Amino acid sequence: MQHGYWIRSKPVYHSLSWQHRAQAHVLVANGEAGRSIVRLLHQRLPDQPITVLYHPTQEADYSKSLVSLAGENLHVFKRESELWHRFEQILQQSVMGTRLYAAGNEYFLWQATTLAASHGVLSGDVMREQASSLARSVYCVHCKTISHRVTTNIAICTGCQRHLLVRDHFSRRLGAYMGLMIDAEEPGNVPEAEEVYP
Amino acid sequence: MSALKVIVSAIEQVADGICHFTFAAADGGELPGFSGGSHVVVSMPAHNRTYRNAYSLLSSPADRRNYQIAVRLQEQSRGGSRFMHEQVKVGSRLDISWPVNLFPISRVGHKHILVAGGIGITPFMSQVHELLRTGADFELHYAFRSPQYAGFIDQLQQLLGKNLICHDQSQRQVLDLQALLSQQPLGTHVYVCGPAGMVDALLSTAYELGWPDAHVHHEEFLAPPIGEPFTLRLKQSGKSVEVGAEVSMLEAMEAAGVDAPYLCRGGACGRCELEVLATDGVIEHHDHYLSDAEKGSGKKIMPCVSRAKCSFIELNL
Ligand code: FES
Repeated sequence: MQHGYWIRSKPVYHSLSWQHRAQAHVLVANGEAGRSIVRLLHQRLPDQPITVLYHPTQEADYSKSLVSLAGENLHVFKRESELWHRFEQILQQSVMGTRLYAAGNEYFLWQATTLAASHGVLSGDVMREQASSLARSVYCVHCKTISHRVTTNIAICTGCQRHLLVRDHFSRRLGAYMGLMIDAEEPGNVPEAEEVYP
Repeated sequence: MSALKVIVSAIEQVADGICHFTFAAADGGELPGFSGGSHVVVSMPAHNRTYRNAYSLLSSPADRRNYQIAVRLQEQSRGGSRFMHEQVKVGSRLDISWPVNLFPISRVGHKHILVAGGIGITPFMSQVHELLRTGADFELHYAFRSPQYAGFIDQLQQLLGKNLICHDQSQRQVLDLQALLSQQPLGTHVYVCGPAGMVDALLSTAYELGWPDAHVHHEEFLAPPIGEPFTLRLKQSGKSVEVGAEVSMLEAMEAAGVDAPYLCRGGACGRCELEVLATDGVIEHHDHYLSDAEKGSGKKIMPCVSRAKCSFIELNL
């Protein structure tokens, strides 16, 4: 585990707030982060049209509260891929001045950012809020598999079963942290994993 | 700064009060390459002083044999544009700086809207060549007082066809910025060069519509304004320089043999920034570079366009 110092690649997140100078607002969120959207919808709303795309997960489903607040501006998707498909369509039709907001786990946030970037939206112009869980997606540098929802500093790769040390180096393109085999020098010498990303 | 030596190979009047100069390398070779939107600073040795003005390069970046610039005779010229119009002849030798680009086309943009007012067309001349070469999606909006003030219009029409949209004020064709900026697809970048009023109007319209700053580009070279004379003290060299009413602090330092840094000479790039140590008056900030807080602190100055109302000012140089 690395802490107490700052690594440039590790992104910093803020809580979402409305950008009132705009032509439209598009919000995407998944699971637990539905709560961030609920909170946002309780604030003074901007005058421009709002669209919310939400993918509930097994852990959390805020659809009910969201429906009551956003009405027909809310679109709920059973699968995440459907949400991205709709987001892509919206990006295609959107004009400059459309503000983009993403709330979710880190992997979700950077998928939204990457998709927006393919439409010429700069990374800094997508507002991102990380959902309450700090769980990481980890990219295994050995077999290139991404393992999701990793809460510990040492994790087993879902692709090659190696024990990976979860580093602070973050790839925005992949939306994941680098994972390196921990017992490469001394096979079998794996320290105890600690839950550091609850 | 090392200069490029050039010879004027052609001069042509392209519109009312606008002259077009072609430069070739004095040694007959190739000139340094540049990218669309670049400018050079031309040194003009008048009899009593040297003027240095920044001019956009108009030619295609692919053409390394010539550079071209356009100079509009400024009604209240401090001398630079008048020198170019009256003293410079075909065959004249001039020193110019290496090309510098403070107004490049965004590489990540998906569409580009160029907006020119009057002589503000100049930086776009080289940019359109670059945009055409890369096959980018773009359009050029050109606003002018009347056709005789619209320099390069024939050339642009030929080059761009329907991607050129003219706004002839004498025909009451006004450029509706609100309409233009509210209908652009995501990923569009806008670039504006022209009179201050037009630049400000575009910047504030884009801001109100929620365009992110990084998508809005402008170039506005200011001419150093006239003020009152004062004395400049330079701490490190111990020199004392008199700044006349019609010269900028930067020009006064250069005339006194001080090697002060600069790039744009128009208050835009930030290169000339100097630290103010003391003054018995107030600084008159004219640049677009320092933030309001920095201007208010009175600790920094851009000597290419700013000056002071004082009897002396001391700089850390
Ligand atoms: S030289 Fe560019 S701001 Fe002064």
